[in-house]
Amino acid sequence: MAGNVLAVTGLHKSFGGLKVIDEVSFDVARGSRTALIGPNGAGKTTIFNLLTGVYPVDAGSVVLAGSDITDIPSKDRVVHGMSRSFQNIRLMPHLSTVENVMLGQHARAHSLGQLLFPLGLVARNRWRAEAEAALAEAGLDSYPGEVVANLPYGVQKRIEVVRAMISRPQLLLLDEPAAGLNDVETRQLQALLEQVSAIGVTILVVEHDMHFVRNLCDHVVVLNFGRKIFEGSPEEVHRSPVVLEAYLGTDEPGSGEGAAGAA
Amino acid sequence: MLLLQQLINGLMLGGLYVMVAVAFTLIIGMLNFLNFTIPALFMFAAMMMWATMTGNLPFGNDFLLSAFGEHHIWIAGVVVSIVSICIVSLIIERFTYRYMKAKYGDATEHALPLVSSLGFLIIFEHLVISQWGSDPLQIESPFGDATFTIGSLIFSIPQIISLALSLGIVFLLSHIIRRTKLGRALRSIAERPDTATLMGVDVLRIVPVVYVITGLLCAISGILFTINYTSIDAYIGDTVATVAIAGMVLGGLGNVWGAVVGGLFVGILEVFSIYIVGADFVKVPIWGLLLLILVLKPTGLFGHSAIGKGKF
Repeated sequence: MAGNVLAVTGLHKSFGGLKVIDEVSFDVARGSRTALIGPNGAGKTTIFNLLTGVYPVDAGSVVLAGSDITDIPSKDRVVHGMSRSFQNIRLMPHLSTVENVMLGQHARAHSLGQLLFPLGLVARNRWRAEAEAALAEAGLDSYPGEVVANLPYGVQKRIEVVRAMISRPQLLLLDEPAAGLNDVETRQLQALLEQVSAIGVTILVVEHDMHFVRNLCDHVVVLNFGRKIFEGSPEEVHRSPVVLEAYLGTDEPGSGEGAAGAA
Repeated sequence: MLLLQQLINGLMLGGLYVMVAVAFTLIIGMLNFLNFTIPALFMFAAMMMWATMTGNLPFGNDFLLSAFGEHHIWIAGVVVSIVSICIVSLIIERFTYRYMKAKYGDATEHALPLVSSLGFLIIFEHLVISQWGSDPLQIESPFGDATFTIGSLIFSIPQIISLALSLGIVFLLSHIIRRTKLGRALRSIAERPDTATLMGVDVLRIVPVVYVITGLLCAISGILFTINYTSIDAYIGDTVATVAIAGMVLGGLGNVWGAVVGGLFVGILEVFSIYIVGADFVKVPIWGLLLLILVLKPTGLFGHSAIGKGKF
């Protein structure tokens, strides 16, 4: 599958007796901006946690850029080219902006020598310079030394994207990036994601805000009750009765197909 | 003048407490538990120093004597001490952190590492007692009575070197924590270990580094203690660590420079207490102060500034 960055096949996950993810398969095409949507509790964040190795999968496989990463530890998935942001921001609140971004470089610095060099003796070493440049490119260079806990929410969201990008991923996973942002912040975030996409990084985003999804994404996968119920372009999703029903419930008779899909 | 001399003696003793207090504070700040293997490591390093210098190693020290010569056998002691502490630290890391983390994840109950570290302390003390007994053991100081005087004040040269070494090591450590990628990884593990893992920080490789660093702090402190005071026993770790804990709490849990100030302060307090109330009661003022601090200002004199939490 040369055209796909990510291939998810037959994914299953149960917690106790509860089936949370049930036989979910989808592909993410290289360079695409794919959205994973669905009502609350559909299993979107669980899928992210399975993709990043936070939970082990019960069955199925995850193939990232040709290598099977189903069972490898979280920390190594970054090395394979997958990086993520979180639904609730998970920056290190007491580290500065630059230091948070530099944390994303750990995927590329593993030996003890790299971890210690240059012993803090060179103020502007290449790691720091790279982190500062990445922040500047995202228009976030006005707060380099600031402890992130003191920064506005929208800025923190964008710092999280920059941190994820500095590990040079092929696939960027974003968990509800627009949640809690106002209109201006949402537009700033979208502009940043356009930049990311323009340099060829594939984006997979979990999002509630359909407006945001339609502006950003070219492909949408719809989940409900842990199953995939629809897949297509944003316009197709918008017109799909199955999706409409999943979001609004079944009132009208004769939508048996949708009911089967949602069961 | 006598008081000033006591102050100097206290400062010198405090220099040894500083490293142990920093070892405690490092593990508390990073991994959030009171590591009772620290006294064991201190004692074990002192014992290795003594055993090497007096030919009491299980395999004898003929080989070391021929390699280092009688006058430099203390160097062999330092080497044996440091190497064995590094190995022991890695073993301890397996049992107080790694296996539990692998089994129970980050939700590990914080009492578990604490209790297993207490187990290590007791086992180590009794291993040492069964090998060498519980009586005080003496070495002959390799530096004799090297002193110099300023006016009527006496300064011991090994003690001054110890104090300088101690402060230098802590300075280097604090620098590493603040300025290097390793330090950044340490601070992020202290704040959010799971997120650090997802960012590609290799937690299971970095935590052993923390254990070895604390082990080395204890080892160097134990070695310097042995050289300076020339008499040790199997319980020396308990004696030193209880005072160092008081120093650490005084400076604020997880605060490296707080531990430095606290360690020096309890050293001075101990010397003055011996001078004023006598050696039998020396623990009372120190632990009295500790209890007072815990009641009045539980965050310590310098407030909360744990390793991960921003300040140094």
